[in-house]
Amino acid sequence: MIQVQNLTKTYAGFTAVDDVSFTCRPGAVTGFLGPNGAGKSTTMRIIAGLTPPSKGSATVGGVDYRDIPNPGTQVGVLLDASAQHAGRTGREILTIGARTMGLPQSRVDEMLALVSLSDKESRRRVRNYSLDMRQRLGIAHALLGEPKILMLDEPANGLDPAGIHWMRGLLRGYADRGGTVLLSSHLLHEVQIIADELIVIGNGKIVAQGTKEELLQAAGTYVRGLEPRALEQALASAGITVTPSGEGLTTEAAPEVVGKAAAAAGVALVELRQADGAGLEEMFLQLTATTQRDAVPTEGAQA
Amino acid sequence: MSTTTAPAVSIDTDRPGIPLTRLVGVEVRKSFDTRAGRWLSISILGLCAVVMLVIAFLVTDSGEFQDFPFFIQAMGGTLGYFLPIIAIMLVTAEWGQRTGLVTFTLEPRRPRVVVAKLLAGLIISIGVMLLSAALAAVGTFLASSVRGVDVSWSISGHEIFNFAVSNLIGVLIGFAVAMLLMNTAAAIVGYFVYTLVLPIVVGIVGGLVEWFGDLAPWIELNTALVPLFTGDFDPTGEEWARIATAGTIWLVLPLGFGIYRLLRSEVK
Repeated sequence: MIQVQNLTKTYAGFTAVDDVSFTCRPGAVTGFLGPNGAGKSTTMRIIAGLTPPSKGSATVGGVDYRDIPNPGTQVGVLLDASAQHAGRTGREILTIGARTMGLPQSRVDEMLALVSLSDKESRRRVRNYSLDMRQRLGIAHALLGEPKILMLDEPANGLDPAGIHWMRGLLRGYADRGGTVLLSSHLLHEVQIIADELIVIGNGKIVAQGTKEELLQAAGTYVRGLEPRALEQALASAGITVTPSGEGLTTEAAPEVVGKAAAAAGVALVELRQADGAGLEEMFLQLTATTQRDAVPTEGAQA
Repeated sequence: MSTTTAPAVSIDTDRPGIPLTRLVGVEVRKSFDTRAGRWLSISILGLCAVVMLVIAFLVTDSGEFQDFPFFIQAMGGTLGYFLPIIAIMLVTAEWGQRTGLVTFTLEPRRPRVVVAKLLAGLIISIGVMLLSAALAAVGTFLASSVRGVDVSWSISGHEIFNFAVSNLIGVLIGFAVAMLLMNTAAAIVGYFVYTLVLPIVVGIVGGLVEWFGDLAPWIELNTALVPLFTGDFDPTGEEWARIATAGTIWLVLPLGFGIYRLLRSEVK
């Protein structure tokens, strides 16, 4: 179990992590989703005791990470698959980890097999590894000590679709055996495939969290009226806030509520449905649009 | 999210930590498991071998140049330049190659990693020193057997002390400078400034400015250490005080500041 409470990290006036709280429970894969620079890595470094927080706390299994004896055997951490000495072989990197944790050399071979790195590949220097191989090596390293809790920063970055599905299988099985997994990603489709629960972060703040299903629901309703202006006024007077979306409007209110409001005002509808078209994608864009770096035009090109 | 079904805490805080011996072993391994690391040690010994051969066969055989103590002195002089680089790399590689991310995740008690690195640096240095002493013996033997020089094998305690202690102090300085600067190139330059440039500058300025000449042994460790390695090898009380003062400036302060910063800084 990973618990983060009111965590804040400021750098000379810039707030990287802003009052973040969440819990990762055992038996589930929790996806930490957000655009680059949203504060995911900083939060994870704080959890692993590498970065001191400005405010708040982060505990792993109820304990400060730095108070865990031989932590590699209890918490598997992958923070940056490329942060390895380029001149070491993959096998040597795992050997160093195994020696530090006091594990037998056989663990190294087991982990190499688990992540499908061949014997020949394992004897190559990491300098010559593809990003995909580095990620596999990093996951092997995190799993070396048979930890019950896993924390992986962008582990699917650089994996091809087959690799992402492989990781889903690996982490699914791990969570089903009672393991806790926190993994981050800036790509929605990765998280959508791998995670059960989601924490969405933008500019250091949590903008949504819950199960994947809950968040899908939260995407709300899409409605299109015969006379758009009349519909907008009808919904506004019913106290329903809307945002323009293409030819119609989206709102967080349930389709039922929207339909009733339209009927009461005598406005004809052309379309009324759950806004599930692009699923989480829409939600992710919607949630991060206000906080992301690039200004994305919210109005489509009007015909 | 339902937290009611969450099982009890799964972290065992009673498990044994990582013993220091294991950390030291890993650090020693890390000094040799990359081509750069391996070749650094091999090159240092190779250079010692070249120096040894030059002395054995090319240096004039009049006098005591082929005696064992002279070979030892030459080895010590050669190591003095390069041995500290091994200790420097042990520290700075964690930042340059960003392996610190893994190292300090596996052992979050950062001072233990520093102690392990220091011990590993000393162990490797002692190993290289012993091998270079063996080369000195080979040189003496070659000069005697192949070149036919009349050599002396007798070596005094002071000469051994000089060889061992001056090199270990160099290694400690290198380590301290590396902890202070956290960057390979800067630390190596910093060490050479300390060991090569500083004594010359201090010597010149001290010769020109009288009050600085009096002050120098108190603030410059090379100068302060002279009484330990020359003359009767027996520093007076005041000379020990100078070694302590200059040692604090060049060893204790950078190391202390480096450790303090490491404990408070974030590892990225």
